[in-house]
Amino acid sequence: MTHDKPFSRDIILLSDVEYVVNEIVLKLKQEVQFHLKRFGAVIGISGGIDSSVCLALAVKALGPGNVLGIMLPEKDSSPDSERLALKLAAQYGVEVLKEDLTQILSGFKCYKRRDEAVRRIFPGFDSSSCKMKIGIRQGSLYSNLPPVFYLTIFDKEGNQQDHILPVKEYLQIVAASNFKQRSRMSMLYYHAELRHYVVIGTPNKHEYEQGFFVKFGDGGADLMPIINLYKSQVYQIASYLGVPDEIIERTPTTDTYSAEQTQEEFFYQMPFELMDIYWYGFENGYSPEEVAAVMGEDQEHIQALFRNFERKRKTTEYLRMTPISDF
Amino acid sequence: MHLETDTIKEKVKSYILQSAYAGEDLILDDSLIFQEGYFDSMGFVMLISFLDEEFGVQVLDDELIEENFESINAIIGFIIRKQN
Repeated sequence: MTHDKPFSRDIILLSDVEYVVNEIVLKLKQEVQFHLKRFGAVIGISGGIDSSVCLALAVKALGPGNVLGIMLPEKDSSPDSERLALKLAAQYGVEVLKEDLTQILSGFKCYKRRDEAVRRIFPGFDSSSCKMKIGIRQGSLYSNLPPVFYLTIFDKEGNQQDHILPVKEYLQIVAASNFKQRSRMSMLYYHAELRHYVVIGTPNKHEYEQGFFVKFGDGGADLMPIINLYKSQVYQIASYLGVPDEIIERTPTTDTYSAEQTQEEFFYQMPFELMDIYWYGFENGYSPEEVAAVMGEDQEHIQALFRNFERKRKTTEYLRMTPISDF
Repeated sequence: MHLETDTIKEKVKSYILQSAYAGEDLILDDSLIFQEGYFDSMGFVMLISFLDEEFGVQVLDDELIEENFESINAIIGFIIRKQN
């Protein structure tokens, strides 16, 4: 494949941020008002960069009076999320409300089902005093083997224990935890329907294409304005739109498990700046040789990395599929 | 539990073919089952559980390498090494 631009480290950076913002804003306005014929938009705001940029774009497209920010904490959420979400709402002058999902999730037995699986691995685990997370180990990114998930718990003194997650426990922890994203989606639609608004979804390009979202959870929305943007581009737009520095500088987390966990640790296995560049090279058909030369990496590593990307895209196809209906 | 190589081979092969929904002509003993896309992350986790349940083989962190899992032959070799 021939390319207009030779591969480089800054190949993904937007050269005209204002133009891209205006294009997204125009489409957002057209879709909400003329296509979907709704009065405004609700967005779940977590104090993270993606939901903040989506809110800022929606305000620019629809006006602050037609955007509602909803904070959706539950007992495992970081207290920082609420403070930053309030700061964001104040910055853009939008109405904000809070729906604590802890009781709803308890009703689903989300915590109970999850903790039962954790205790089968660590019998002494007590969620009132211990914290937990699941993640993958570094080092498997250049391997042809897919990653294996580990369960990590921390006792009240902060002592850490890790264990490879057997399939039954892995599935139970993930299925139970996904109640969180699906409950958030249900609550967002309640408030959207109450006002005849749309729900704006916040996945970025990596989350969508690599399957880092919950089907009918955070993957359930009417519009996803940043779905074609690399994370570096989301940051460029955040700066341009005046998203508070504290949100821009915050490390992206999963906000799913009780122990602090970065997205890099849970899923991506490399900093987003690098992921952006490699994924661009992969999806635009740059050769592993050219990418390796620019990045100062081993060509075989890049080949394995690209195979890994292909596998991720293929194995997560199920998440992006709409219900099969051609019967 | 110490099984003969032929029994191990038969059980592993049958498990791999069944799990991958593939025929014997598609996955050969030295086919690279992960590299060729027959098994994904979930398949790998299930394979690890299968080794534990069927052969009592518990996989340690530093054993999660391609040499031990890349093909039917590699998996059989790994089980035999672990049993010895």
